[in-house]
Amino acid sequence: MCAGLSVQLVAGEAIRILGVNGAGKSSLLKVIAGVMSPLKGEIHYLGQDVTHDRRPLQQDLLYLGHSLGIKNLLTVSEHIRHYCPSVLPETLQTVLTQLGLIDYADTQVKALSAGQKQRVALSRLWVENKALWLLDEPFATLDVNAVALLELRIKQHVSADGLVLFTTHQEVLSLNAREVSWLV
Amino acid sequence: MTYFSFLMTEFCVLWRRKHDVFNAVLFFIIVVSLFPLGIDPAPEFLAPASGGILWCAAVLSILMVIEGIFKEDYRDGSLEQWLVSGLYLPLLVLLKLIVQWAGVVMPLLMVMPLLSQMLYLPSGSFWVLIMTVVLGTPSLFLIGAIGAALTVSLRQGAMLVMLLILPFYLPVIIFAVSAIRASQEGAPYFGFLAMLLAMSLLSLVISPFMTAVAVKASVN
Amino acid sequence: MAFAPEDYQQGNSFRIIYIHVPAAMLAQSCYLGLGIAGFVFLVWQMKIAPIFIKSLAPLGAAMSLIALLSGSIWGKTTWGTWWVWDARLTSVLVLFLLYMGIIALQNALDDVTLANKAAAVMGVVGLINLPIIKYSVIWWNTLHQGPTFTVTEKPSMPVEMWLPLLVSVIGFYGVVAGLLLWRMQSEILWREKRSAWVRQEVLGDGL
Repeated sequence: MCAGLSVQLVAGEAIRILGVNGAGKSSLLKVIAGVMSPLKGEIHYLGQDVTHDRRPLQQDLLYLGHSLGIKNLLTVSEHIRHYCPSVLPETLQTVLTQLGLIDYADTQVKALSAGQKQRVALSRLWVENKALWLLDEPFATLDVNAVALLELRIKQHVSADGLVLFTTHQEVLSLNAREVSWLV
Repeated sequence: MTYFSFLMTEFCVLWRRKHDVFNAVLFFIIVVSLFPLGIDPAPEFLAPASGGILWCAAVLSILMVIEGIFKEDYRDGSLEQWLVSGLYLPLLVLLKLIVQWAGVVMPLLMVMPLLSQMLYLPSGSFWVLIMTVVLGTPSLFLIGAIGAALTVSLRQGAMLVMLLILPFYLPVIIFAVSAIRASQEGAPYFGFLAMLLAMSLLSLVISPFMTAVAVKASVN
Repeated sequence: MAFAPEDYQQGNSFRIIYIHVPAAMLAQSCYLGLGIAGFVFLVWQMKIAPIFIKSLAPLGAAMSLIALLSGSIWGKTTWGTWWVWDARLTSVLVLFLLYMGIIALQNALDDVTLANKAAAVMGVVGLINLPIIKYSVIWWNTLHQGPTFTVTEKPSMPVEMWLPLLVSVIGFYGVVAGLLLWRMQSEILWREKRSAWVRQEVLGDGL
């Protein structure tokens, strides 16, 4: 899988990974994030070989996979504090308002709809200060407003020299993403 | 995510799932009450057997809890987030186990006085029983976590965990029950307690790493 | 087994020792092999190690089962019961359960990489725990029963008896090694069934 692919990622870019179902898009993100180990190949970060110890990379990394990493029994604000304990109450308020989740701040996640859960997971993009984002299908189950919000956030991040890798099957017109694709 | 926020979340989730712990304690009580009903309610039988009965029931209810210890984390993607958090995975596993141990063993200890009375355990042996539970159950959790992490991706893993893990529980049960029996017979029991402690320490050294390997292999 | 003289206490029934003892020895050696292979796999990621484990585990289970069955048949004739909670019998029983656990785990896990890791982890953990289990079982046994049966410490055997025993032990090792290699061969063929050399091999043999 993914044989012969060599990607160089530079800061200040949004990259959309294209590929048919089963091509290994998610696996690529997982391998970079350190969920899976690569069968072959190497991963370098800031000139350092991180193939075997992904920790230097993971300090700057935010990964959102298909399963979002949300605990059903936590409330929305507890969830955000779990991943970002240092978040200021004001920041939390603003972000939740922006994402339309402010009324649910003290609701347990299990009571929310799929799109709302996705928003909860994505709220980490606003509060955590990580340079590299790996997003697996971040637009899935989002409504139009949320898609626009996320696109805006990605643009901001890119202009602030962040790096975004994402996969999607939806057409994201306003994002000026470099597209990387391969076939198996 | 930091170690501290991880720990807080674990406590919070355990608190909100307290009915699971409650169920385990109920199960413990039911298993214990099976013995007088099924075999013999006479004090002459129950008093010498009480240590063994309490320990077997405790092991079964701990197995019931430990089997699903990572299930929820696997399903909701938390395990993936542990892996990418940049935190040290064996330490995360250990923290989770400490929380679970405290959350399950404390209630068990609380019903112990009642049940040991019901089984006619001599009062002199009661504190030995408590000591064996405190010293022995950490190794049950540590060893059980390996099995739980290996089978976390299976839908029906409970039976398999029992099959995998129970043989490893034998020494713990043997030493714990021996300690209680020794104290009933007035023999020195300190050596058995030391063995229990040694086994808990040994599994403390091995288990977090093995569990981390298993977690990493299961998340794919 | 047929050539050894009769035991002066047990008569012909003792001849089962030529199955029982080698099987019991093999059951333990196989677990040792499993544990070492598991360790090798976890540390050096050698691809052959999980194949070794997968091929060896059922053999070890079979050996411990043979040891148990022959032990209980032997027990029936000499002690008069099919089963005693003797330390050795009990620890072989535990060993058998450990083997069954590993086999069941490997069957249950569909994902090959996970199954490999899982078996290796269980092998290593088992290897560390096995001495403790054995020790505790022996302790438990002496604590509860005392040495009721001294049949395992019978007077030192004459040459006519232990020589065939040695031969049969070596024979058992040979059989297990042969079966192991055969099982590993087919396992490797199965795992690499997509690659070209396997197709060549199989088709070549077929023609």
